[in-house]
Amino acid sequence: MAAISDDVFFATIPELSARLKEKQFSAEDLARAFSSRLLQLGPRYNALALALPQQAIRKAQEVDNDLRRNRLRGPLQGIPYAVKDLLAYAGQPTTWGAKPYAAQVFDYNATVIDKLEGVGAVLTGKLSMVELAGGGGYRYPSASLFGPGLNPWDRARWSGGSSSGSGAAVAAGLVPFAIGSETSGSIVTPASFCGVTALRPTYGLVSRYGAMALSWTLDKLGPFARSAEDCGLILQVISGKDGKDPGSAGKSFYYTPQYARPLEDLKVGYAPLDFSDRAEPSARAAFAAALGVLKATGVQLVETKLPQCPYGPTLSTILAAEEASIFETLISSGQVDQLADQAQIAGLKAALDVPAKDYLKAMRIRRLMQDEFSRVFTEVNVLVAPGRSGPAPPIEQRLDVGGPPAPAGTAPGFQGIIPAGNLAGLPALVLPCGFADGLPVALQLVGVPFSENTLLAIGREFQKQTDWHRRRPPGF
Amino acid sequence: MKVTRRRLAGALLVTAAARAQSAAQAAPPRTPEEELKAARARLQAAGDMLTKQEVPMATEPAFQFKA
Repeated sequence: MAAISDDVFFATIPELSARLKEKQFSAEDLARAFSSRLLQLGPRYNALALALPQQAIRKAQEVDNDLRRNRLRGPLQGIPYAVKDLLAYAGQPTTWGAKPYAAQVFDYNATVIDKLEGVGAVLTGKLSMVELAGGGGYRYPSASLFGPGLNPWDRARWSGGSSSGSGAAVAAGLVPFAIGSETSGSIVTPASFCGVTALRPTYGLVSRYGAMALSWTLDKLGPFARSAEDCGLILQVISGKDGKDPGSAGKSFYYTPQYARPLEDLKVGYAPLDFSDRAEPSARAAFAAALGVLKATGVQLVETKLPQCPYGPTLSTILAAEEASIFETLISSGQVDQLADQAQIAGLKAALDVPAKDYLKAMRIRRLMQDEFSRVFTEVNVLVAPGRSGPAPPIEQRLDVGGPPAPAGTAPGFQGIIPAGNLAGLPALVLPCGFADGLPVALQLVGVPFSENTLLAIGREFQKQTDWHRRRPPGF
Repeated sequence: MKVTRRRLAGALLVTAAARAQSAAQAAPPRTPEEELKAARARLQAAGDMLTKQEVPMATEPAFQFKA
């Protein structure tokens, strides 16, 4: 077996792919090394739900046979990855991070896994998550079968959720990439807190078949990786029409940076206060510098206002109504009481009481929100905001208490961008952009539906001018 | 959605109410019954807020059914 040096664990997909082709190591070497690392270090961050080393080695051996026969399948061939444990993998437990489902086994794969297998990517394991993706509303990071997600930058801090393991595993170099999910914040938050590049695709671009449903109209699957380019390469594989997903947009995605619009043609809307007075004090310097880099990419920064809409109540009503229907049996049977977080249990029970009129009203308001955003995107091409207003909180901190109110008379900024973006089905790219008290902070770029190539083009240029996305946690 | 002074005032009232709620959340509910009551109250508040939103009659929900 070839020796795998430490730099391999933090290499990008093109770097790994090139080294595989140069035969610096085999796919089996890579699978063994990453599997061993995931098994050894994953539990340190409560990131590992299930290791699949034997399956990974078998798949990697197939890949090596293909490579010997020059059967090439693209840049993800031979690249190890892991998935959030809400994705079905035939014959193995899929726990959804929740005690009532700890022994659940499906006899089929999620479409995303089948697509990645088809191009020769090597599944090494399943990653921890907040129980049931946190839809009932959870109070503490410990709301998981696997315990609180611990941040590789400081294990006394939360890795973020609900894709806790996905963020931590990529940050710690346990996998080159991971697949997570977002209903409202579950990709953006762990990516921001763990200093990892991640992409929340347009709703419907990636098949949800085989993924636990929390909200049929809000759920999206997306990649966590080492770079914007990596996210583009992964999205190209996992996207596309799927008749097994009723929400499938029927569109494919081709990562085409060579055809991206010149960045000088792009207007990026932002609210200055989000990066200053509204940001946590420790993060303001990093955010100010990041805005400067963004401007240096050539895009024009334009002060913009988000439409004034009730994003929070609209999202919480839609989420509650849909999750209550999805988990009706769990709730009515009383098994919901087995969950770890008391607020989550109560939230799911209360969700059964949401009247149909409220759900329908929320879905009608949602239609108006989409129209409002269409108008915003006639003025700008992209929106930018902090991924989160500051770095990761301590793991014992309550998550259901809001931060200090903004000074009176302050404009609201883009505070609602996470629920707003999810309600409108908009894509978002998370870019690590610096540090606050030694912990990562990030930007999020939000675009028009199906504008992932535009977001990735800005991200690529941003990452040419910075190295935040290549930084490693202490000890690595 | 037309931004009227009434709507903006409503949004500001919600912000103030949310802050008050945040302050009141200093201690979490102690019993499952209190938790459930608090969760129901939050969803009720959300529903009440949405009830106040004006929506043109012709606006359909943001989902599609196809035969």
